[in-house]
Amino acid sequence: MSKKAFWLVAGLLAAVAAAVIPSVASNYMLRVVNMTMITYICVLSLFIVFGMAGQISFAQSGFWGVGAYITAILTTKLHVSPLAALGASAVGTAFLAALLGLALFRLRGHYFGFSTIGVVMILNGIFQNWKPVTGGADGIANIPSFGIGTFEFGTETSNFYLILAVVIIISIVTWILRHSPLGRSFMAIRDNEIAANCMGVNSYLTKNIAFALAGMYCGIAGSLFAFLANYISATTFTFTQSALYLVMLMLGGYNSLPGPIIGTTLLMLLPEWVRFLQEYILLIYGLGVMVLMVVMPDGLVGGGKKLYEYIQNRRRRNGWPNGVAGSASNDLG
Amino acid sequence: MVWQLIIAGLAMGIVYGLVAMGFVLIWRAVGVVNFAQGEFLMLGGFVAFTLIEMAGLPVGLSLGLCALIMGLAGVVFHFVTYWPLRKSWDITVIISTIGASIALKETATLVWGPAPLGVKPIVPGIAKFGSVFIDWQFILTIGIAALLMAAVFFLLEKTYLGHILQATAQDQYAASLIGIPVVLATGLTFAISALITGVGGLLLAPIFFVTSTMGSVTGLKAFAAVIIGGFGSVEGAIIGGILVGMVDTFSGAYISTTYRDAIVFLCLILALIVRPQGIFGEKISEKV
Repeated sequence: MSKKAFWLVAGLLAAVAAAVIPSVASNYMLRVVNMTMITYICVLSLFIVFGMAGQISFAQSGFWGVGAYITAILTTKLHVSPLAALGASAVGTAFLAALLGLALFRLRGHYFGFSTIGVVMILNGIFQNWKPVTGGADGIANIPSFGIGTFEFGTETSNFYLILAVVIIISIVTWILRHSPLGRSFMAIRDNEIAANCMGVNSYLTKNIAFALAGMYCGIAGSLFAFLANYISATTFTFTQSALYLVMLMLGGYNSLPGPIIGTTLLMLLPEWVRFLQEYILLIYGLGVMVLMVVMPDGLVGGGKKLYEYIQNRRRRNGWPNGVAGSASNDLG
Repeated sequence: MVWQLIIAGLAMGIVYGLVAMGFVLIWRAVGVVNFAQGEFLMLGGFVAFTLIEMAGLPVGLSLGLCALIMGLAGVVFHFVTYWPLRKSWDITVIISTIGASIALKETATLVWGPAPLGVKPIVPGIAKFGSVFIDWQFILTIGIAALLMAAVFFLLEKTYLGHILQATAQDQYAASLIGIPVVLATGLTFAISALITGVGGLLLAPIFFVTSTMGSVTGLKAFAAVIIGGFGSVEGAIIGGILVGMVDTFSGAYISTTYRDAIVFLCLILALIVRPQGIFGEKISEKV
């Protein structure tokens, strides 16, 4: 399947899904789909920081929370219009991420990842305890739904179209980014930071841009979440959530755009399909993650590609080194 | 007051130190961060509950049995999460340990239920030193943990087996060339790591309640201890653990009980910015 045909098929499928899902799905299922799309934006942010720039980050769910709280506080306490709140969430979170990045990118490789664990724990501590601003353990309730002018996105279906529109825009932006000089410099840093520096890439600044951009994605996702749920509390924005983003990205495949889509969809919708397992769901979930990683270390997209290549040409397959970062071919995304 | 806090902080710190040591041993042996390390602690706590409260075994026997069970659990963990992925990228092992952490937490909830479980102290009562009152449990925790640490040190530095483990940690390929069975060495390292962390859980069980989530926060704080102490350094893990325990206890007592977790991680970030390589530095520097 050529690249063009793939995107054509994917686009058609998405269009059909967008037309069909709201009319056939129950309100509950639609909420799950909406949450999946919001999570997808966060996973996409990790795709930029980790998949493209190679910097592992556990701070994403913290930024997601920052975006949600900015929107919640602006709309409930200061009565700012929803559109302005969405913008403020995006800009504010990006600004926070950039500020943190300036300090944390003095650390390299794994150490940066470790420090982001600190970031998400601290942010969560603030959400949980700064009562006058974040409402403490009670969270913030009565957040209005998104609206432009007099039109309000009050129903699950209208929210679906709103979030879908944002998802499509962000996906296209990410696709353009991936093929832009900036995106290429991200990937150069991932593959070899010293070589990238030698080629004239300012890795400190570039990593910071990636981190701030990812922060912006999370801010937007957080804002959408606040508008959708109308209620937020600190228990949502935890380290575990960030770890799940990483799991979704790695299971889908970190090196191509379909990866985050597949990984997020699989891990978000899977628990719904196996509801009948009840209390065993999370156990199966954990075991499933382990098994999938063991069977397909390159993620589902990478694994699928390998299988495809294997069928196409057995000799060619022998030439691929196993599991080296950036070794997977780039014919998708 | 201050002495009580110091002893309590030291007891917490030395348990963090045990978990941190568990992190470091695995990191040194296979170069992987084990995100399920905290779950070993939780498992140790539940095993302690089963042995002491449910089976009613004497404490000494329980300690030995708990160590044995956790050692076996470490070996199983090694073969399930690490061994199949040993040749691929380290992030994949991290993901598989995250999966294992979810699975272990859920298994614990299914087996022991979601309610917090209490375990009676190993030695009940309070010791009196002059005007200072200290729980025996704290003193015993410090004693047992220190002994365990000393034993691991002795094993690693003074015995033939320890040298095998260290050789494998330095270079698996070279170790296999001189006839060291790598799978045994890494398996044993996981066993030791799970063992000391599990005993940490047993020691912590009477101080806190045993819950399926007790490992998450403790594990992350121990991880902070590893980084503050210096990644890859066993001494650093212990010192870092004690520092984190002290910060944890004192900030809880004097600054704010609700912000104590945040303060610990703020210290982590500050430590990373001031001295990224940690107090003792990393033994193997990053290659170009």
